Amino acid sequence: MPQVLSTREGNLFRTVIKHYEDKQYKRGLKAAEQILKKNPKHGDTMSMKALIMNAQGKTEEAFALAKEALTVDMKSHICWHVYGILYRTNKNYDEAIKAYKFALKLEPESLQIQRDLANLQVQVRDYDGYVQSRFVMLKARPQIRQNWTALAIAYHLEGNLEQAETTLTTYEKSITATPSKTDFENSEAILYKNSIIAERGDIERALEHLETAAKNSLDRLAVMELRATYLAQLGKNEEAVKAYRALLDRNPEHPDYYRGLLGALEIPKDDQTSLKAVYDEYAEQFPRCDAARRLPLDFLTGDAFRTAAKSYLSLMFDKGVPSTFANLKHLYSDLLKKDIMPVLAEEYLSERKSSAEVKDQSKADSSKGEGAALYFLAQHYNYHLSRDLTKAMDYVERALELDNSNVDFHMTKARIYKHQGDIRKASLAMDHARSLDTRDRYINSKAAKYQLRNDENEKALETMGLFTRADTVGGPFADLTDMQCIWFLTEDGEAWQRRGNPGLALKRYHTIFNIFDVWQEDQFDFHSFSLRKGQIRAYVDMIRWEDRVREHPFYFRAALNAVKLYLLMHDKPHASNGVNGADGQKGDAAEKKKAAKKAKKEAQKAEREAAEKASKQDPNKASSSKTKDNEDAKKKDDDPNGLKLAATSTPLEDAMKFLGPVLEFNPKNIDGQIVGFDVYIRRKKYLPALKCLKAALALDKDHSRVREQVQQFRSAIDPVLGSLPPQVQEIIKSEFTS
Amino acid sequence: MAEDRQPPNVTEGATAAGDVEEEMQPKSAEDRKAAAALSKLDARGDDESAAPAVDNQLVKNAMDALGGGGAAKAEVKKVKVDAADVNLLVDQLELSKPKATELLKAHDGSAVTAMRAWLQPTFA
Repeated sequence: MPQVLSTREGNLFRTVIKHYEDKQYKRGLKAAEQILKKNPKHGDTMSMKALIMNAQGKTEEAFALAKEALTVDMKSHICWHVYGILYRTNKNYDEAIKAYKFALKLEPESLQIQRDLANLQVQVRDYDGYVQSRFVMLKARPQIRQNWTALAIAYHLEGNLEQAETTLTTYEKSITATPSKTDFENSEAILYKNSIIAERGDIERALEHLETAAKNSLDRLAVMELRATYLAQLGKNEEAVKAYRALLDRNPEHPDYYRGLLGALEIPKDDQTSLKAVYDEYAEQFPRCDAARRLPLDFLTGDAFRTAAKSYLSLMFDKGVPSTFANLKHLYSDLLKKDIMPVLAEEYLSERKSSAEVKDQSKADSSKGEGAALYFLAQHYNYHLSRDLTKAMDYVERALELDNSNVDFHMTKARIYKHQGDIRKASLAMDHARSLDTRDRYINSKAAKYQLRNDENEKALETMGLFTRADTVGGPFADLTDMQCIWFLTEDGEAWQRRGNPGLALKRYHTIFNIFDVWQEDQFDFHSFSLRKGQIRAYVDMIRWEDRVREHPFYFRAALNAVKLYLLMHDKPHASNGVNGADGQKGDAAEKKKAAKKAKKEAQKAEREAAEKASKQDPNKASSSKTKDNEDAKKKDDDPNGLKLAATSTPLEDAMKFLGPVLEFNPKNIDGQIVGFDVYIRRKKYLPALKCLKAALALDKDHSRVREQVQQFRSAIDPVLGSLPPQVQEIIKSEFTS
Repeated sequence: MAEDRQPPNVTEGATAAGDVEEEMQPKSAEDRKAAAALSKLDARGDDESAAPAVDNQLVKNAMDALGGGGAAKAEVKKVKVDAADVNLLVDQLELSKPKATELLKAHDGSAVTAMRAWLQPTFA
């Protein structure tokens, strides 16, 4: 039964909403209290109050109040809506959807609730529900193009390409006036439709649509690229050649364009002369073009390669391009090319020596000429496919003789030390390189990374602190976390793990896990934003990217570390007890414990200092209008050193959180399957263990660890087989045959 | 139409309500105006009642042509699934209930076939 307020309070209620929307929480609370004084059981106001409290970080109280509000006014859509929002901000999406749906039942006309529901449905990939929601929204407001486009996207994501196209076409037919040429939304919608036609496999029609409807699209590059691709796919080579040439005239550095052009020209793959001629044409036309000179090195062989590589190297050395080696090292998979490269660089050096005129020039800029060639050679002998560290050191020393203040040379020296296995020396050398150019962020990060490899977590953080924002509350580490600096977190965690501090290591890995969660959560804003801006092609790409975000190597590495650490904690619970080394050898367990204690103390000290620093900074903060009180309250971490994480009594269950995505998104990585087996077999989950084992065997049946695991599975399964459900017995008997 | 009946309601807004934003209190009226203008900057008139270039009658016809919401659905095979089998899969394979049900349905309700299929590597 609806609860009616007096006019005065009705107005007051509206101001509560307004204050909430403007994020003026204190005022909003005040107004809400005023209403509640007169009407203590007004459900809607109670809900609004709960919503504001939730926004202030008082989640539990907010939930309690919202529940109470529901009991006083079961039939209020506002109460249900708020309840849904609370669930949604606490990431309980299923419950949120239920609450929204209930609110919608009470108030079917509310666009607001419908929109919130739709956003949630696409967030959890309930495409079925999303299509329905979008349909309702379109019905309510068919005049707005966005709603048509949104329905098309819903069909598209659901996999119903035909309906998606029909939806877009239907809208197009209902427009009376031709949209202006600068109408961005229109331009994007047409290209979006084009991509759907192409995705349906009807390239012929896609090309036709592109050449008519999308002809005047504002994204001209996309039209040109799509056209070239379609023409090539349809075998219209003559036109495709023209299309690719037009693209190369715009950007002669794009390898795909060359590939497309060569394909359309139908030059046989082994006709090196003709292939090279095409590239030469562009090299001549664009004297500063790199791609046209470098790409032929990929396919040329023998003397032709030698000549081309030599002229390319000379050009790069003369210019002093620091990335020369990095640009060419992919050629090293070819043995002959790998052997020729250093010879050519040596030739370059001796030729330069014989022509005396350059002598004084090289002093001027050590990164050019002789210095560049020596630098290249040092990197060559440092590279894992062509490693000879004595020679590498020799060349880098010669380069340093030329110029002892060159950052790149010193950096390479540090890397050589690293490959020699002297991590301490490497760290010192890299830090020396950093000191030569303290304004270069790259070398700064590199130095920090080497310090972490040398287990100098504190020093590394200090180094990183040179480039983080000075005024971040919580110091450099908080800033690095905020900025989602994953490489640092990973290396820091690994270093703590080596130093026997599983707590901090786990803490880092969990932080990384949470960053990936944040990326998933970040989508929320775009479900409405992208539509509003009309950027729908990018939006669909993003949705697809998000579906696979945990494929990322950053995730894999951190997750694998975490799973391995949890396994260790399970196997050696006593040794661990919050302190355990990565190798967990008994001999130095005591020493490790000591080190860990020390590390813990240090970490706590750092924490304290950071807190002190923060509190010192705070007074300034408080006076500025941007009070961060609320934020701080919410951000306060009750387990900054991961002691609770390390004290877990269920390490294997904790590991599952990391393991799941590893197996789902990187099934072809044998290391993932191996630790997957390790976890499942300990948990006595025999079928999942067998699944990992079968996958690992399919990947590499001669892997020594996998062969061990086969034995392990046999000895684990034999005694228990009879006690398993008959269906499981049947499967294991037939599937585990080796 | 719905727009004039839109209830006084709460906005979820672009920034999740869970993020505690700084409580900004614009000092002067000018500041407030600026803030309001700023927040409208990217909005593209979501609530415009009608875009001018559209013929309402045509749109209505178009809507009718589109048919009912979520019109053509792929035919879902009707397979009877035993609750005991679902529980077996949930327990043995660590799947969620809906996932287990789906898997069983895809294999005609046979637990053994479903589990065997699940066991095979997903690649190659």
